[in-house]
Amino acid sequence: MSEHQTSPAKLPGGQWIGVALLLIAGVYVRALAFTPTEAAQGLAQKIFYLHAPSAWSAFVAFCVVTVCSIGYLFLKDMRLDMFAASSAEVGVVFTSAVLISGPIWGKPIWGAWWTWDARLTSTLFLWFIFFGYLVLRSAVREPGQRARYSAVLGILGAPLVAFIHVSVKLFRTTHPQPVVLKPEGPTLPSQMLTTLLLSFAAFTFFYVVLVTRRYALMRAEDARARLAEGDDAA
Amino acid sequence: MPPDNGGYMIAAYVALAVLYVSYALYLWRKRP
Repeated sequence: MSEHQTSPAKLPGGQWIGVALLLIAGVYVRALAFTPTEAAQGLAQKIFYLHAPSAWSAFVAFCVVTVCSIGYLFLKDMRLDMFAASSAEVGVVFTSAVLISGPIWGKPIWGAWWTWDARLTSTLFLWFIFFGYLVLRSAVREPGQRARYSAVLGILGAPLVAFIHVSVKLFRTTHPQPVVLKPEGPTLPSQMLTTLLLSFAAFTFFYVVLVTRRYALMRAEDARARLAEGDDAA
Repeated sequence: MPPDNGGYMIAAYVALAVLYVSYALYLWRKRP
């Protein structure tokens, strides 16, 4: 058997992962070298330029899970289930980034790594829900049943995303109020706002690249599994 | 004078770089 036959084909579009990583590196450079240091918080405030866009990408990812899950329950199209699963995995990575960077920012500013306030606690629960979603998928083997159970859990996660966004308004939280997404408009100095908006754009692109790659992988794995089943049946 | 807390910033930037690059490489290298 030749080497070509033993190594599975490469998926197209790998270069976009490189482009996305370069854009994230650009955010690092812009935040570190071309954005002023905040007077009261010092350099630790620069964690903001990675923390908030990571949270944004996580929210986009979980909203996509919800939309695909609702779509799956109506249309029973397995592509929607696979896209939801891909988005959930990527969303868990972004939420992990939020839960890592948040405490590292909180320690020098609040004096504590963690507080059980509404936003932090609900973000942790969001991580658990979608980590549970991935565990559930790995535990159910029958594809139709797995897709149905996952869709229900994916939809149940949606209210938590909305709750996290409004949690700082509903409760007295240690976590600060929004500085961009609010009715009266952004209240950041222009250089900081530019860096933040560039970071939002880069992280949105990063999400799109990661989720499309994950989805392509899942489709290829699914096709391979079907092929293997066909070989077994023959 | 801003507080001297650059170490926390570096820790967060490095931790997230490791997380994101690791996951991106995992997807890049993973074969079906």
